[in-house]
Amino acid sequence: MTKKRNRSMIQRRLIPTYIFLIIVAFLSVFPFYWMISAATNTSFEVANGKLTLGGHFIENFQNLVNGNELWRAMGNSFLYSILQTVLAILICSLAGFGFELYHDKKKDVLFSIILLAMMIPQVATMIPLFRLLSSAKLLNSALGFILPSLSTPFLIMMFRQNSRNFPVDVMEAARIDGLSEIGIFVRMYMPMMKATYAAAAVITFMNAWNSYLWPKVIMTLPESQTMPMLIANLSGGYTTDYGVLMVGVLFCSIPTMIVFFVLQKQFAEGITGAVK
Amino acid sequence: MKRKLISALLVSVMTISLAACGTGGGSSEGGEGGSGSSEGGHKLTVYAWDPAFNIPAIEAAAADYKENVDSEFELEILEQAASEDVETAITTAGSSGDYSNLPDIVLFQDHYIQRYVADYPDAWTPLGDVDINWDDFAAEKLDYSTIDGEHYGVPVDNGTVVAAYRTDLLEQAGYTIDDLTGCTWDKFIEIGKAVYEKTGKALLCMNSDGNDLPYIMMQAEGVSQFKDGKPYITENETLVTIVEKLVEMAKENVLLMPNSWSDYTDKAIQGDQVAGVMNGNWIIPTIEKVEANSGKWAITSMPTLEGGEGYASNGGSSLYITSNCQNVDLAKDFLAYTFGGSTTTYDNALKDGGVISTYAPAGETEVYNEGVEYFNNQPIYADIVEMGTHVQTVEQSDYHYSARNYVGSAIVNIINGADTMDALQEAEDQLNFEMGN
Amino acid sequence: MKQKKRMSLLAKQSAAGWIFLTPAALLIAVMAFWPMIQAFIMSLQTGSSANMQWSEPIFNNYTRMFQDKLFLRSVGNTFLYLIIQVPIMLILAILLAQLLNNKHLRLKGFFRTCIFLPCATSLVSYSLIFKSLFATDGLINSVLVHLGILESNYNFLGNAASAKAVIIIALIWRWTGYNMVFYLAGLQNIEYSVYEAAKIDGANGWKTFWGITVPLLKPTIIMTFIMSINGTLQLFDESVNLTNGGPANATITMSHYIYNNSLGQGVANFGYATAMSFFVFIIVAILAFINMKVGDTRD
Repeated sequence: MTKKRNRSMIQRRLIPTYIFLIIVAFLSVFPFYWMISAATNTSFEVANGKLTLGGHFIENFQNLVNGNELWRAMGNSFLYSILQTVLAILICSLAGFGFELYHDKKKDVLFSIILLAMMIPQVATMIPLFRLLSSAKLLNSALGFILPSLSTPFLIMMFRQNSRNFPVDVMEAARIDGLSEIGIFVRMYMPMMKATYAAAAVITFMNAWNSYLWPKVIMTLPESQTMPMLIANLSGGYTTDYGVLMVGVLFCSIPTMIVFFVLQKQFAEGITGAVK
Repeated sequence: MKRKLISALLVSVMTISLAACGTGGGSSEGGEGGSGSSEGGHKLTVYAWDPAFNIPAIEAAAADYKENVDSEFELEILEQAASEDVETAITTAGSSGDYSNLPDIVLFQDHYIQRYVADYPDAWTPLGDVDINWDDFAAEKLDYSTIDGEHYGVPVDNGTVVAAYRTDLLEQAGYTIDDLTGCTWDKFIEIGKAVYEKTGKALLCMNSDGNDLPYIMMQAEGVSQFKDGKPYITENETLVTIVEKLVEMAKENVLLMPNSWSDYTDKAIQGDQVAGVMNGNWIIPTIEKVEANSGKWAITSMPTLEGGEGYASNGGSSLYITSNCQNVDLAKDFLAYTFGGSTTTYDNALKDGGVISTYAPAGETEVYNEGVEYFNNQPIYADIVEMGTHVQTVEQSDYHYSARNYVGSAIVNIINGADTMDALQEAEDQLNFEMGN
Repeated sequence: MKQKKRMSLLAKQSAAGWIFLTPAALLIAVMAFWPMIQAFIMSLQTGSSANMQWSEPIFNNYTRMFQDKLFLRSVGNTFLYLIIQVPIMLILAILLAQLLNNKHLRLKGFFRTCIFLPCATSLVSYSLIFKSLFATDGLINSVLVHLGILESNYNFLGNAASAKAVIIIALIWRWTGYNMVFYLAGLQNIEYSVYEAAKIDGANGWKTFWGITVPLLKPTIIMTFIMSINGTLQLFDESVNLTNGGPANATITMSHYIYNNSLGQGVANFGYATAMSFFVFIIVAILAFINMKVGDTRD
């Protein structure tokens, strides 16, 4: 009885917190509602601020599918993003593992140098990178899309930081049991770091999916177009159909949202490790 | 053993990467041999933008050529988000010296082509002795695509400026479209004030990050922002007067200035907030989106400072053959047959995309001379082609858009309280700086 | 003998370590440092991308940028965003994380998800959304006019100061949730008993926030700070999509101006553009260095 009263008292004291959180949550979610309502209205209604749901979704959707290669762009975006995610977390986790658990002076120096790459602005390297990949005949290829982002200082740093909690004594024990170094990575490190992998996957997938500037430079053919490029095409002419555009934006947002929803628990845990 | 495992892992990483290569292979076909077509075929590729305007026009040309010349002809349109993307494609290709990823033909903005031919001479194929009667085209338009006397491009659309007004609103204020034809800008402002008073709508509009009006108003006077290759701003009395007129109009509610291009098209024009629009004729499809106002619009020429009809041109693009084209004869023949002289192409380009030609014989066809219901049955297309022939050629520069941007910024600053000459001086300094003078 | 064997084992392990980090290090060398060197060479050159020549004098592009009023304005704008937006965003993020870390709070997952959701939006869509919300006849205006805060509709994106404010608000909207997740994760490592103890000692919420939460989150704060500085100094999409740098270039950022000089407006002055991006690189590196030195009290 007292426990119950105690609990309700605590909840009452939390009322301002709830109100504040509800306001913040509302402000965060409202633009999504706007996006959905815009997808169901005509262009004219969107431009003039109509906020209620309309009945033009099917029409907008059909206009989008008819005039554009929606499914092809979706397929491309999935292909590039998944490839980039899988390869990047493999390469960066190997490096993080190597830097932390085999660390010595020389490797630490190399690590600092790699961190420096985090500060290189994208606009600076874009043209030289284009030259490089163009001479390697990698324009319009998945490899051309993913190569520059397969190894990122941020992911390496994240895996390195998280590896600090990796039990070194267990590692020694495994070595005595005859497990090879790579065996330790595959059989012990990878399963134990699941959460970090999830967090890294969420971040990499979102970046890959939403990237625009680089694909615009490297993908010169419509066959290799990605979703953000398709959306940009929709808003590039003398006039823009906002209803159709917002259906496109909606389709472009759904995959990143799904990835986040599915992995959000592991994401939070993975990030936790990141900065322990 | 360990080493074996490590190498096994590395191999597997490599295999995955190779697999990535393989899966990407489907889309990298073009990357290998470029997007250009192969020699002797019936296929061409083209970069173009704007699915509501340029692309239907090019599709019309392709259909025309396929039907009347080469039944096996195929044109693949590689859609780009904006004109900048085509420029980027040339720039990046130029940086690696490898043009083999360019398509056979590109649509290119008129104002930039001179600079791109000068900077990237290896990217283009001049048209040479192609079978086109150039005299049929508006001289001002050809001025862009002709470099050192050599023709590089075939005109597609026509940037002739139209001054479109709502006759019903003018009437409410006690005026007609004839009062606005060939009037002075002072008279225009007077009418504008009356229209705003009676109807609450501005007689003119321009996006505030834009710079269309100062440029076209100057062209109507036959004056450029450049003189002998140097910026001509503070000492250009015509320009200063025009800027002052624009600022006055903005302050008197004669000129509405929405923030961005999309606000200009979607809110000011389609949101029915204005009684007049002055821009390249490609703006007409936007005006026509407001069905309720059908029959109430009419078009005419621009006002000028001293009175008399003003003509100008804004925007527009032409088709150019790249150096990567493996089938130059086909490309030349295609361009010469369609945009170089087929009224069928132009009729369909007009019907499907609203693209109006600068090709004089096109203006004589039935399609061009039909009255347009939206404009109270005025034969606007023939009128536009006719107006296009009066546009004066003014000095152009590679820094055309830069100059426009700086003048546009100056106008915004003046409206927000800056001194006119100070703001224009800043624009001139900035332009000189950019040009390296 | 025994020692020798041990040495070789260690050497073997070290070699394994090197092999593990080789793919990543090689990729960074080829995909980041090599282009960076190329970019530096390019920054000493001038002319169109097909025909670049050495500048005369060689550092001309570098001296040029300090006379370029527009570039200096873009630097000023970027720093303004940095100074105002980053602290507000990070403090708000810590505050939200602290609130959500309360074990009595219900619907935690719901709130967390809602607040994180903005980072799932693509940059194009979120810019469009903010543009329309802050339009002269948009929702924000009609709400403010209804509440009597504004007399008549205000052109937020048409005035320099308010347009900058809209960019800052948009940035805070998009990135607060992202940073909050980092703090939330960091907070979950702090034993709840530390707070209970503080409560017994009579410390109020504000005191525990500054006395316990902030110091314990220090490594996280440093990391998010560096990430935010880096992100803000390279700010691009918001400036392009939300205001297009306007009105009259009042809101343009460094990256946007660099882009305009390279691929944006048909100018393609790669030499000058890369010189400016080196300037950005140096500033980011210096700020990150200071940040790490100031923050690093452990060793």
